[in-house]
Amino acid sequence: MRIENFQHKMAAHCESGTITSLLNHAGFEITEPLVFGISSGIFFGYFHKMKSFAFPTFIVRNRPGQMRINSEKRMGVKFNTFTFKNQDKAQQKLDELLGQGIPSACQVDFFYLDYVPSWEKVHINVHFMVVIGKEGDNYLISDSYFPEPVGLPSASLINGRFAGGSMSPKGFLFYPAGIPPYIDFESAIRKGIKKACFNMLKIPLPFLGVKGIRMFAKKIVEWPKFARDTEHLSHEIMKINILLEDQGTGGAGFRFMYATFLQQAAEMIHKPALKELSQELMIIGDGWREISLFAARIGKNRDLGPEKLKILSEMISGRAKVEEKFFTQLNKAMI
Amino acid sequence: MKEKDVKIDCPEQQMILYVEKENGQYGPVQTGSYISANYLDDFFYKRKNLEESLHSKVLNLEISPIQYFMVLEDLTLSELSSRANIGKWKVKRHLKHRNFHRITADHMKRYARVFNVKEEDIRSLGSLINETKK
Repeated sequence: MRIENFQHKMAAHCESGTITSLLNHAGFEITEPLVFGISSGIFFGYFHKMKSFAFPTFIVRNRPGQMRINSEKRMGVKFNTFTFKNQDKAQQKLDELLGQGIPSACQVDFFYLDYVPSWEKVHINVHFMVVIGKEGDNYLISDSYFPEPVGLPSASLINGRFAGGSMSPKGFLFYPAGIPPYIDFESAIRKGIKKACFNMLKIPLPFLGVKGIRMFAKKIVEWPKFARDTEHLSHEIMKINILLEDQGTGGAGFRFMYATFLQQAAEMIHKPALKELSQELMIIGDGWREISLFAARIGKNRDLGPEKLKILSEMISGRAKVEEKFFTQLNKAMI
Repeated sequence: MKEKDVKIDCPEQQMILYVEKENGQYGPVQTGSYISANYLDDFFYKRKNLEESLHSKVLNLEISPIQYFMVLEDLTLSELSSRANIGKWKVKRHLKHRNFHRITADHMKRYARVFNVKEEDIRSLGSLINETKK
């Protein structure tokens, strides 16, 4: 059984891609950057010490699940959501929805997805994908990180949906339940941008937003003391590239996708200032890409002495400076 | 970033990047992963070294097979405890080689589920501890 009219599309990011493809299937044509921008997806957070992370790390997007919540709040679309304690009931509900021809998104731990290549496998509980069919004991998955739909054994899907740990999925699934006849995009875009600016500039915590970028720049020189050996440090430094480019960001830690959103928004709400700012963000994104390429290079060469980490720190610090200016201008443009 | 700068040949890992197209419009383009295309050999080299180093630590009775898989899969003590639904203090004990044989069948099953390996894989690594002791 397969939901025939569901169109699989690759996307830059799993959550925005999943929401976009579900809304498109429900008859609401919207692009991934618009979903991302309206839901204030752009963000930065640095975590130096956390119980759930084995090494300092950073994030470049808002809290998982927030894109769906913000899309509901700002565009008025409705999603039905479910979490489960019982694994059998969770699978039953999924099968029931498939039987009714409703594709639904599941939250899973990326590690248990058999179709993911071994080098990409990490324990991360916040991956989203759409279940679009079932044949025997295999589910058919539309995963926005893959060019074609892929098969997944039922046991692996259960493992992924009930992984436990921080941000445990608890069998979470959702699907669109209603699209309003009229959407006030001007208000949605405005609110999305204002909240993104607030998140980047005004959260009074030193590890979030632009302050988080500064903390990242300051603390990265301390990374060697957390590493087991040079190869471990090299692995973690190269992960900067993965987190910024490969882990579903659309490049430069979502900065390119947000620039695309601003360009689309400028046309939709007739605000040329946003177009100029989108060009500026593209240039800022190029700077982030330089950081990720530099990190990959020094990691591969094991050239991880204090002077190279200082250069990396200065490059990151430079991004904090330009992003502070950028988001201040963006905030002003929306007044 | 311009479209012409992103075309990377890596069929094993495809992805979407947002770029500036020739007409000045920004939009998605499907390409290969830069890091997988250029640095995958380095990843496998480091992975192999880590596996060997952890394996020898198991042999030298420094760690238990539970810690072997925990480090390999980049999990912390608190994350493993929460995922396996086993108290932290118990997991802490299970990380030591001398307590490995005390792990109950139920706990072993839970660890195997979290690590996504067969129980046999953990046990066979554990049997190295006994051989070393002999």
